[in-house]
Amino acid sequence: MKKGVLSLISLALSVTMLAGCGSKPASEPSGGAGGETPKANFMVGMVTDAGTIDDKSFNQGTYEGIKKANEDFKMKYKYLKPAGQTEADYSKEITNLYDAGYKFIVTPGFKFETAVFKAQDKYTDAKFVIIDGTPNSGEPDAPPVVKENTVSIYFAEQESGFLAGVATALHVKDGQAGFIGGLEIPPVQKFNWGFQQGVAYANENLGTKLVINKENVVYQGSFDDVAAGSQLAAQMYDRGVNVIFAAAGGVGVGAINEAKTRVQNGSDVWVVGVDVDQYQDGVYEGDKSVILTSAVKKIDHAAYDMIKAEMEGKFPGGQTLTLDATNDGIGLPENNPNLSDDVLKQVDEVFNKIKGGEIKVSAEQGDLIK
Amino acid sequence: MNNSVKSLVAVLFGLIAGALLMALTGHDPVEGYKYLIQGGLKNPERIGNTLATATPLILTGLSVAFAFRTGLFNIGAAGQMLFGGFCATAVGLSLELPRALLLLVMVLAGFIGGALWAVVPGFLKAKYNVHEVVSTIMMNWTAYWTVYYVIPAYFKGTSLETESRQLPADAMLHQQWLSDMFQGSYINFGFFIAVIAVLVVAFLINKTTLGYELKAVGFNRHASEYAGIAVKRSIVLSMFISGGLAGLAGVAQYAGNASSLQIGVMPSQGFDGIAVALLGINAPVGVFVSALFFGILYSGRGFMNAMTEIPPEIADSIIAIIIYFAATSILIERLYHKLKLRRAANKKQGE
Repeated sequence: MKKGVLSLISLALSVTMLAGCGSKPASEPSGGAGGETPKANFMVGMVTDAGTIDDKSFNQGTYEGIKKANEDFKMKYKYLKPAGQTEADYSKEITNLYDAGYKFIVTPGFKFETAVFKAQDKYTDAKFVIIDGTPNSGEPDAPPVVKENTVSIYFAEQESGFLAGVATALHVKDGQAGFIGGLEIPPVQKFNWGFQQGVAYANENLGTKLVINKENVVYQGSFDDVAAGSQLAAQMYDRGVNVIFAAAGGVGVGAINEAKTRVQNGSDVWVVGVDVDQYQDGVYEGDKSVILTSAVKKIDHAAYDMIKAEMEGKFPGGQTLTLDATNDGIGLPENNPNLSDDVLKQVDEVFNKIKGGEIKVSAEQGDLIK
Repeated sequence: MNNSVKSLVAVLFGLIAGALLMALTGHDPVEGYKYLIQGGLKNPERIGNTLATATPLILTGLSVAFAFRTGLFNIGAAGQMLFGGFCATAVGLSLELPRALLLLVMVLAGFIGGALWAVVPGFLKAKYNVHEVVSTIMMNWTAYWTVYYVIPAYFKGTSLETESRQLPADAMLHQQWLSDMFQGSYINFGFFIAVIAVLVVAFLINKTTLGYELKAVGFNRHASEYAGIAVKRSIVLSMFISGGLAGLAGVAQYAGNASSLQIGVMPSQGFDGIAVALLGINAPVGVFVSALFFGILYSGRGFMNAMTEIPPEIADSIIAIIIYFAATSILIERLYHKLKLRRAANKKQGE
């Protein structure tokens, strides 16, 4: 018992010592400052999803959008990284941002749905942007509730996957393709289904013969197991797959690593990246990369557009937006050094057909694999 | 050198090292620590959150400490916590009972789930002398993948594939008056479970014959056997209790701090429990205090990030440094001895 009391005292001492250092109380951000005129001392906060800020995906894309907005609008911005992935962890960071005066809060990922659901009521003078999700209470069959101070943004992943599928089929022409997903969640599934439809479209209309076998469509089950990604990719390449579409965060990085090794040993294999332009991640020599192309979701645009809208007083509060081909929210990267001009031209045509509604890409599984 | 002084020195070194890191990266350490403490304790809501953050750490710390005291290195608190939380969630989602009874059954299920998860390594250790470090780590992944398959198969949420359905309000440890008392904090009954567990373990280990036997096996297995203690039974029982405590951490985490169980996430509290136990010198009350300290660090960190320009990664490093110093507190003791010896030697030379 004595030991315990002593450690209690020691802790108390260290705490008071530290607390004593800071005598001046933090300047409290005043309550209802937000409202309709946010221009002056506008502060944008972001809470990261699982993974780091340089995850080459959601976190990074969102943050880059915020940084780009900063170049144009000069505001204070900051991201916080929660300690865990529970609603409590997310809510805590939202509170931290709010208390520090960041009243425009961007949350990338469906995991924020319940945290934002509560926060939009608790902090009515703050504004929330949630990407790839809608606020809801988390109860079974709970309806989405997007309050006036919140915007929810989705992407048409299937269209992005479709374009990548067409480009891949046109490049490889004859061979096998595979798919590695992270978790089996709607955004990843839609990439998969879109990719399959894209390949099928090219096979039917553009004279390619790219096959996707059932055993080569796999969800690894996480977004961070790099080693498992390498292993899955190795198995697929061994089965004769020429190109893998990896929509799997860190798992995809494993697949890219495996492809690099194989290309350096002389085989002709490719990876199709996801979310952002992953060309740089696949560089193995000089500026040569194993990334054939990437199925891009313009996450940075989403963050940028919302901040811009807020600056102009046009924040679309209460709405659920979908970014797709019609508003250039998805697509292939601007530069595709591994694709020929001819391929790019054909992909462009397909893109315009999607835009014009001539090609409909289904967001449902239908009779597609997984 | 007194053990708790050692812990204090470890914390102090950690804080100094953290301050140096802040200074080196061009930030003001005084300001950083000020906001860190404020973030953890500024208002009732934050205090409540700090206590709630500390709750699973108290229990996993207690789990690891209890195993340590009985000579076992239970590195599998993460898996036991996950499986305990899973059992409690399964009960909460399947049974319809009056609230008080339901919570009691959930807590029991959590305890037994965690305990069973630890009994397997305990049995392997007792019977075949398989080292528990290896087997408990393997059990971590077994729990991880079991939950990974069972949750989507039987308890899947309506919209998300990656987490269980949300627990009904009656099956959660939240209580309105408690949340109100802490101004909307997510503190819950888990904290009281942790406090009770601390008291029970302290009593068990210090005041009972059973505790004495378990400790004796920890000190010297062969001597205990010679003295007539059922060593094998003791090892299994130690793991049972240790795992059960980690299982309670799972109840507090998944039915208290969170309202559903996510798949594909190994709870970090399991490993933090090792640091908590080390810093708390493996004494129940010490564990309690050091878990609160970690609670402040974890819940104050975000506010420090928000109020200063210290990036979250630096804040993580600072916490890691403090843990590192806490974990190596044995080095501090050695250093102290060395200094003492040298001083004695100098004295002798002087004479």
